[in-house]
Amino acid sequence: MRRRGAVLVIAGAAAVYALAAWSVAPGFYDGFAPPAPYNFVNPPDQVKATNKPPLAGSATIKVLNGVVQPGSAFTQDAQAQLSWIPGAFHPPSDGGSLVVSIKPVTNPPPIPSTFTPITNVYQFTANAKLAKDANLALTYSDQLPTPSAIYRADDSGHWTAVVSNQSTSVFFISARVTQLGYYAAGYENIPRASSAARLGSGSQALPIIVAVAILIVIVAGLPLAVVRRRRGGDGEPHGGNPDDPPAAPRPKNRHPRRRRT
Amino acid sequence: MARVALIAILAVGLEWARAIAGRQPGAAVPALILGGLALCLLGLGWAPGRLGLERNRLGLRILGGLALAAALLLPAAVRWQGGPVLSAPLAIAAITVSVGEEIAFRGALYAALDAVWGAPAAIVGSSLLFVAGHLLSHPTAFLVPVLAAGILLAAWRWACRDLVGPIVGHALADLAL
Repeated sequence: MRRRGAVLVIAGAAAVYALAAWSVAPGFYDGFAPPAPYNFVNPPDQVKATNKPPLAGSATIKVLNGVVQPGSAFTQDAQAQLSWIPGAFHPPSDGGSLVVSIKPVTNPPPIPSTFTPITNVYQFTANAKLAKDANLALTYSDQLPTPSAIYRADDSGHWTAVVSNQSTSVFFISARVTQLGYYAAGYENIPRASSAARLGSGSQALPIIVAVAILIVIVAGLPLAVVRRRRGGDGEPHGGNPDDPPAAPRPKNRHPRRRRT
Repeated sequence: MARVALIAILAVGLEWARAIAGRQPGAAVPALILGGLALCLLGLGWAPGRLGLERNRLGLRILGGLALAAALLLPAAVRWQGGPVLSAPLAIAAITVSVGEEIAFRGALYAALDAVWGAPAAIVGSSLLFVAGHLLSHPTAFLVPVLAAGILLAAWRWACRDLVGPIVGHALADLAL
């Protein structure tokens, strides 16, 4: 009976965990990146009193033998950064070093109704164009919803979503980009009907996730639980401890079972 | 009862201290490692068996840890979109913190709670205090899955009387996430 109880408890715990973990973005880490206060251009009400203005940043990178060296540029508050491999930029036309600048923008291209930015809009500029893709990363605040993508505005002010690596580290979203310009992280404003459709497709996977999680822990835990409980006996108080003294053996046939007739 | 209170205060206090210290520039990794080592100290004075750290059937225990890691990582794995790998210092910090948290919360705190109020109180109490320990390092939305993870690991601790599995599972999950 206790063995069955142990299995049920583990299975229930695995199911609850799978459901709880599914409800948030992947990557609820163990405090490896404590959330620093985000510096907003336009702070939301809850942080207006403590908000500090965001900072800009730039990097100057040498060109050796016609190849722009690898490097990275980031804002001084580390909220936006760009990193690249050798030759990712064309050499500047003036023959000098590559200069990459990142600055928070107070008057960005108009944001369309299709998405809601949750970070500042940053303008990434350089004195040369990208020849290969580079890694662009933005941090975001823990006071706002998690972004689903990074968005880019071109010179005409048209915003499009960029394929992004979402939340592999909490409060950090990145994307491979092939052009500079205006970037912000945000989430798509989904009309109600399609929102429901998305929820439906996601929830199809959830029962499978829960079932697999239960199966994994039961299959692995059952042999150990059976061995440990058999050793410890069934009637131990408080779930029992391995170094508790074993229970005294019951006298045999003290209350002989009456045979049914 | 006093022992429960003391371990609870120390465990949660150490978690908060490492979270606050880690916010200083360049202090994240040292704070994590020192915090993890300090949490390990809470296991001193306990017999290994009381902590669930017996050495017999080690293979089964490690296998259990791999299974727990798989269960912990499953919801993230199916939505995985690629990402950076932890650097070596952060990986060491992740392992240290995982071991420290398991010894403190599912080891010493669980054993102390179990001795006073029994296994159900030990599972629930150690999990709630595990969440309390993460209040300063996690946003509110993440505390529910942290609680659920705590309950799963504590349930394993109770059902299998084993802490090796939770240590292995917790460390692998932290390394991957």
